[in-house]
Amino acid sequence: MRLKRIFSMAWGNMKLRKLRTFLTTLGVVIGITAIIALASLGEGFRVSIREQLEQGFELDVLTVIPGSFFVGGIEKFTDTEVAKVREVSNISVATPITRAPRSVELYNEDKNVTALVAAGVNFTEFAEEVFPDRFRRFEEGGIPEQIKNNTVILGYKVNHLNETESAFAHPNDNVTMTLTLKNYTFNVAGTLEKTGTAGFTSWDYWVFIPLDTARKIYGNLTDLIFVKVRDPEFSESVAEEIENLFSPYRITVFVPFSFIQQVNSILNMVQIFLMSIASIALLVAGIGIMNIMTVSVMERTREIGILKAVGAKSRTVLTMFLAEAALIGLVGSLIGVPIGYGLSHVLSYALSSFISPQQNSVFQVERATIVPIFSWQWAIIAVVFGIAICILFGLYPARKAAKLDPVEALRYE
Amino acid sequence: MTALLEAKDVKKTYRMGRVLVPALRGVTFNVEEGKFVAVFGPSGSGKSTLLHVLGGLDRPDEGEVFVDGIGFSTLNDNALAEVRLRKIGFVFQFFNLLPRLTALRNVELPLTLADMSEKDSIKKAEEMLKLVGLGDRMSHRPSEMSGGEQQRVAMARALINDPKIVLADEPTGNLDTKTGREIVQLMKRLNEEKGQSFVVVTHDPAIAETANRIIYLKDGLIQKVKEGRRQP
Repeated sequence: MRLKRIFSMAWGNMKLRKLRTFLTTLGVVIGITAIIALASLGEGFRVSIREQLEQGFELDVLTVIPGSFFVGGIEKFTDTEVAKVREVSNISVATPITRAPRSVELYNEDKNVTALVAAGVNFTEFAEEVFPDRFRRFEEGGIPEQIKNNTVILGYKVNHLNETESAFAHPNDNVTMTLTLKNYTFNVAGTLEKTGTAGFTSWDYWVFIPLDTARKIYGNLTDLIFVKVRDPEFSESVAEEIENLFSPYRITVFVPFSFIQQVNSILNMVQIFLMSIASIALLVAGIGIMNIMTVSVMERTREIGILKAVGAKSRTVLTMFLAEAALIGLVGSLIGVPIGYGLSHVLSYALSSFISPQQNSVFQVERATIVPIFSWQWAIIAVVFGIAICILFGLYPARKAAKLDPVEALRYE
Repeated sequence: MTALLEAKDVKKTYRMGRVLVPALRGVTFNVEEGKFVAVFGPSGSGKSTLLHVLGGLDRPDEGEVFVDGIGFSTLNDNALAEVRLRKIGFVFQFFNLLPRLTALRNVELPLTLADMSEKDSIKKAEEMLKLVGLGDRMSHRPSEMSGGEQQRVAMARALINDPKIVLADEPTGNLDTKTGREIVQLMKRLNEEKGQSFVVVTHDPAIAETANRIIYLKDGLIQKVKEGRRQP
């Protein structure tokens, strides 16, 4: 018997028992909905996290920190050590930072603010080569062509600690900073716009002064080295080369690229885990199909007897019942996919109201909205999976129908 | 005249719980092409079992059945289904139509099973329904038809694949006398016009008048064979 006719007969049977078909299909719809909702949400979550991480971390910038979590190690880098790092291959620039050991008070006439970090940087290397994106947008002023000893750049939050009040300072204002208990006067060259999270901190709370000035105050030692690699792909090898310059566990190299890869693989695992849980719903639907089809085979015993008497092969009877199971799977999946995608938007809305960022937190994160992403790949997998589950669970009752003895089936009342 | 259907020493025993019930105890007979054979016998004489075995719905414990020269014991279940489809037509006492299908779709079913295209099969089924006098009832479902009409549909379904032989199990048993007579007339007409052989299991004396040969069955054995009044 032609497959097309078998399917059209199966379709006729399903339409005949509307409520039963509806309820059986509903099980599949729920299973597929759950899978697609989690898949879309998971994809969206993954992309959103990646985007946030990429906003926060320059993928091609390694941070070299003296010391390690476990052993302690050295506290600062000497100039010789910085010079060795500069020699590492596949990097475009390595720039040292010397910073104040604690937060710094700033005064401008009667106004007073605190900067979390006052960092001495080589403006050309640091702002223009390593972090060009973050030093592109200034609220006022900018990095001057001629950097003087007393030039200072203010982070957004330093200048606007309280957003409702007027700015703390403007370019050309002279501000006083207390460094190592002494007061120094600096001339404001520029005030930055918000840069958001950068690595583990937010530069919005930083002030930047010339490296030489910082070294005069704090000594010729380096607190951090930022290393820009030629391509993120070189991150691991560059990190290894830098680590090899020092004795083991004396320094820590933070590699955002591999960090992001790790986060990605964790997200993958979480998503697969969630989707396996969702698959349980589909499994339950499969058992429902098996149950209903077993009843259906019993009810239609006589019909099966007639079909066999008229000349239907066992295989034809088997295919007829499997076709019904497959159609339930197909229809259920096709309905479940768009509903699941819709549900993912509802869930994302609900979730984003839970994880809205706290005000004034140092780790200032942009409002975390997860935009669910529809993936054709997942949709196809879900539909195939839905049909496969239905056929799998339909196999037992369908085989039972196919194996019926025609004489006994005809006798069945 | 060559034998279209041969039963050779067919034996069949049923197991009812622990009791063995012999239904057929060695039945041998032939049906030649174009013959109309009636099988008479009281309840429990093994008539229905005989018909099932002859039609390849059931396998005998011993003995052999040949249809058109093909021995059933050599065939697997699939091949037997194929023989049922192409060479044998069944008519039952309780019509055994598929309730959800229209008359047309019921008649068309064997053609569908035989992989005929829908266009051709519909056309053929329509012709067959006209032949049995139901040209105006094609889109009715069994529940919308009288018993006589349903049996005509069953008859049309049995004949649609041009089988060599039609096996009927009490075809008038569930109909009133008048309708039953009409069905007998229809069978007779089809037998004459289309030349198909008929084996009809029955209580109905009207069929005896139509038959070329009457086989009396009792306790699973042929008691006597009588040549009928009508001869082809």
